[in-house]
Amino acid sequence: MSPNELLPIIMVAGFFTMMMIGVPVAISLAVSGFVAGFIGFGPMLFSLLPSRMYGVVSNYTLLAIPLFTFMGVMLEKSRIAVDMLDTIGKAMRGLNGGMGLAIVLVGVLLGASTGIVGATVVTIGLLTLPVLLRRGYKTSIACGTICASGTLGQIIPPSLVLILLADILGESVGSIFAAAFIPSMALASIYAIFILLLGWLRPDWMPAIPLEERSQTSRLQLGKDILSSVLPPLLLVVAVLGSIIAGIAAPTEAASMGALGSLVIAIVSRRLSWQVLKQTLHGTLSISAMIFLILLCSQPFSLAFRGLGGEALVHDLFMMLPGGELGAILFLMAVLFVLGFFLEWIEISYIALPMFLPVFLGYGTDMVWLAILVALNLQMSFLTPPFGWSLFFLKGVAPPGVKTSDIYLGALPFVVLQMLAVALVFFFPALATWLPEAIGW
Amino acid sequence: MMSVVHGIERIVEAVGWVARWCVLLLVLLVAFNVLGRNFLGFSSVAFQEFEWHLLSPIALIGMAYTLKHRADVRVDFLYEKFRPRVRAGIDLFSAIATCAVGGFIAWVAFPYVMQSYRIGEGSPDPGGLSYRYLLKSLLVIGFGLFALQGVADTLRALCALAAKDGGEQTP
Amino acid sequence: RADSNRTFNWKMTNAYAPGSPFYVQGPGSPTDFCERVASMSGGRLKIQHFAAGELIPALEGFDAVSSGLVEMNAANAFFWSGRVPAAQYFTAVPFGMNTQGMNAWIYNGGGLALWEELYEPFGLVPMPMGNTGTQMTGWFRQPLESVDDLNGLQMRIPGLAGRVYSELGVSVRLLPGGEIFPALERGVIDAAEFVGPYQDRRMGLHNAAKNYYTTGWHEPTNVTELIINKGAWDGLPEDLQAIVRNAAQACNNESLAWSDAVNADALEDLVSNEGVIARPLPPEIIARLYEVTNDTLSSMAAADPATQRIHDHFMAFRAKYASWAAVGERGFMNLGDGRA
Ligand code: NA
Ligand code: NA
Repeated sequence: MSPNELLPIIMVAGFFTMMMIGVPVAISLAVSGFVAGFIGFGPMLFSLLPSRMYGVVSNYTLLAIPLFTFMGVMLEKSRIAVDMLDTIGKAMRGLNGGMGLAIVLVGVLLGASTGIVGATVVTIGLLTLPVLLRRGYKTSIACGTICASGTLGQIIPPSLVLILLADILGESVGSIFAAAFIPSMALASIYAIFILLLGWLRPDWMPAIPLEERSQTSRLQLGKDILSSVLPPLLLVVAVLGSIIAGIAAPTEAASMGALGSLVIAIVSRRLSWQVLKQTLHGTLSISAMIFLILLCSQPFSLAFRGLGGEALVHDLFMMLPGGELGAILFLMAVLFVLGFFLEWIEISYIALPMFLPVFLGYGTDMVWLAILVALNLQMSFLTPPFGWSLFFLKGVAPPGVKTSDIYLGALPFVVLQMLAVALVFFFPALATWLPEAIGW
Repeated sequence: MMSVVHGIERIVEAVGWVARWCVLLLVLLVAFNVLGRNFLGFSSVAFQEFEWHLLSPIALIGMAYTLKHRADVRVDFLYEKFRPRVRAGIDLFSAIATCAVGGFIAWVAFPYVMQSYRIGEGSPDPGGLSYRYLLKSLLVIGFGLFALQGVADTLRALCALAAKDGGEQTP
Repeated sequence: RADSNRTFNWKMTNAYAPGSPFYVQGPGSPTDFCERVASMSGGRLKIQHFAAGELIPALEGFDAVSSGLVEMNAANAFFWSGRVPAAQYFTAVPFGMNTQGMNAWIYNGGGLALWEELYEPFGLVPMPMGNTGTQMTGWFRQPLESVDDLNGLQMRIPGLAGRVYSELGVSVRLLPGGEIFPALERGVIDAAEFVGPYQDRRMGLHNAAKNYYTTGWHEPTNVTELIINKGAWDGLPEDLQAIVRNAAQACNNESLAWSDAVNADALEDLVSNEGVIARPLPPEIIARLYEVTNDTLSSMAAADPATQRIHDHFMAFRAKYASWAAVGERGFMNLGDGRA
C-alpha cells in the first residue's frame, strides 16, 4: 500500500483518537478530514466545501429538526412531559419497565411522522430521560431505550432513508414504504418484549412506581390525570400523524403541527410564561445547532474520505470476496455495519450501494428485500458505539450526570436486538416482500 | 484577557438572539403555510421558500451559540478521568482547532458568496425569493462567529493552563 | 503536436441522484458519455463521474464548473434560471418545439451559438447531451373537465409551468422529490408532474393517482445539458474536443431512442395492468394554458434583454419549423391511426 492509500485509514484512526480523548465530536471530524485532505490533495479539494454546506442548510427535509426539537423542549420546559410520564408510570400499576414500554410506543408514533433521527432522539430524550432517572431507572438502560426508540423512525415509513434507498435501488417509493412496514413493527415488538423481559428479570433496573406513591392517587384522580396530562401530548402526536394521513400536511411540514400544538397546549394549560418561551427558544436553538454542527463538520471528513479513495479501498475489499449471492449479501451487511462506525448514513448509501448494485442486479436479487435489509442495517449504524448519531444526539440533551459510557453500554443490547431483526428478514424474506405484493404497490 | 473573552461572548449572544427568534418565526411560518393553505386558500412560493431560508440562521449562527453554551457533544469517559492540566490541554487544542476550522471555512466560503452576488442569483422558481447571496453570506458570518468563539475558548483555556491548579475553578 | 500524448483526468458532477436511469446510468446517460469519451480517446481523456451528493449537492454544478472546481456538469439548463433567466429556452419551452425541432434549432438553426454566448460570461461551454423526448402533463387525483377545475388545485410543479398554472388559480407546491409520492398519495397535493411513463412508474406515482394527463404542453422536449469549464475546454487538444462533441451528440441521440422505447412499454403497462386512465388535457384547458403561456413568456422576455433576444430567435425558428413539421412529422402522423 502506498502512503496515499493509507491516508483514509489514518484519517479514520486520527478521528477516533481525538474523539475518544474528549475533543468535541464535530471538531474531531473536521480536523481529521482537513488534515488528511490537505496532505493528500492540497487545499483545492476543500473549495467544494461551501456548496456542500449550503446543501445541508438549504435541505428542506431537515426543517423537521428545529420543529420537532421545539415541540420536545416546549413540553419539557412547561413541565407537561414530566406529568405525562409520571401518570403513565402510575397507570402501568405494578408493571416493571412500564415507562420503558411507553417510550417505545412514543418512538413508534413519532417515528411514523418523520425519519430524522436527530429530531426524534432529541425529542424523546428531553421528554423522558430526566423522569426515568428520577424514577430510579438504571442510567444505561434508560439511555439505550431512548436511543433505540428514537431511531425507529428510520425504518418506519415514511422516512428519508427509505426514500433515498428507493431512489438508489430503482424501486418505487411506495413499494419500499410498504415493504418496511412489517419489519419495522417487528423490530418495535422485539424492543417491547425485551423491555418486558428485563423488567421481569431485573426489576431493580426499571422499577415500577412504588405502591405507596401509587396508592396516594385514587383511581378517579388517576383518570383525571390521564385526561389532563397524557391526553394533550398524545393529541400532538395525533396532530402530526393525523395531518399526514388526512392529507393536510406533507411529512416534513407536519412537524410544525406538533410544534404549534405544543405552544397551544402550553398556553391553554396556563403554563406558558415569558420565561418558558425564552428557555424553549434557547433550548431549541442550541440543540438544533448542535445537530447541524455535527452534520456540517462531517462534510470535510466525508469529502476527504471520498477524495482520498476511501471508497476504492472498500471496493477492493469487495473484490477479494468469494462468490455467491448470499456471500455478497453477508459481506454487504458487514461493510455497512463497519462503515456505520464512522460515516453518516447518507454517505454510506452513496458510497457503498451504487458500488455493489451491479453485483446484485447480476444475481437477480429481490431489490425490495435488499432495501429493507440495508435499511435495518443502516439503522443499526445509528446505534453502534463508539460512533452512532443517536448516541451523540442523546448525549447532547442528557442531564450532566449521564456519561457517554452509560449511553454506549445501554445501546449494546439494542444493537444485538437489531441484528436479530436483520436475521429475521434475512431468513424470512416474506416479512418484507409480502405486503407490497398484497396491496399492489 | 477575560474581558476580551466576555466581549466576544456578548457578540455571540447578541447575534444568537436573532437566531432564537428565527426559531419561533419558523414554527409559526410553517404552521401558517399548512393551515393557510387548507383553511384560507392562501399559498405562496415565496412563503414556502422562506421556510428553508430560516434554517440557515438557526444552523449557522447557532453553531457559535451552541459552543458558547457548551451544548456541543464530546465523548467524556476518558476525558473525565484525566488530570485537570491534561483536560485543559485538550480544551486548548480543541479551541485552537475551532478557530482554524471556522476561519478556513469562512475564508473558502467568501468567494462562493461573491459568485452568487456577481451573478445576481435568485430563485429558479417564479415568485421565489431573490438575493441568494444574502442567504449564502450566512456561511461566512456563521463560521466567522464560530472562529471568534474559538478565540474566546482559546484564551479561556490558556488562562486555565496558566493557573497553578490547572484552572479547576474556572467555569 | 506536443500535447497529443498528454492524458487528462477530469471530473463531472451531475444534478441527479446515483443510480437514476437515463439521468445517471444506462444508454446515452452521462456515465455512458464518460465511458464513450474514455474509449474513443484511448484513455487520454478520463472523466470521473459523481452523481448528486457524492461530491457536491444536486444544484451546485453551475457554480462549481464556472469556478473550475470540476470540469463538467450534467443537468438541465432550466435549473439555472435563477442565475440566467434565459437558460429556460435551452431545456424546454412550454408549447415550444418537440425534440426534432429543438435539435434543429440548436444544431442547425443558430441556437447553440446563442447558448454559448449566453454562458460565455460565466466561463462555460454548453452543449446538449441527452433528451427524454416528450414529457407528460402529470398525475391528477381527480379528472379535469374545465379550466375551473384548476382553481385551487394543489400541484407540485416547478419552474415556468408553475407560473402559468398559478395564473389559472393553481397553488404551486414546492416539494422535494422524495415527498411527492407520500404527499400525492394522501392528497396533500392534488396533482404532480414528474417526467414520463417510465420514470413516473419507477416512482410509483400510479399508486397515488390514476388520472394521467399525457402529452406535456409544458415540456414537449427536455434537453440534458452538458457544461464544460471554458479554461479546461480551451486546454483540450482539437481531437479530444471533437471526441467530446461527438460523444455528446451520440448520447443525445441514444438517450432519446432509449427513452422512447421504454416509455412505450411503460405506458402500455400502466394502462393495461395498473388501471391508469391516460388521456390528453381537454381542449378548453389547453387553449387557456396556451394563451397564458404566451403572455408569460412575453412578459418574462420583456424583463431581460438577453431573454428577449433568445425568445425572438426561438419563436422565429419555431414559426418556420411549424410549417415544415405540419407537412413532415405531423403530416405523416395525420395519415391515420397507428402510423408513427
Ligand atoms: Na419514519
Ligand atoms: Na454507527
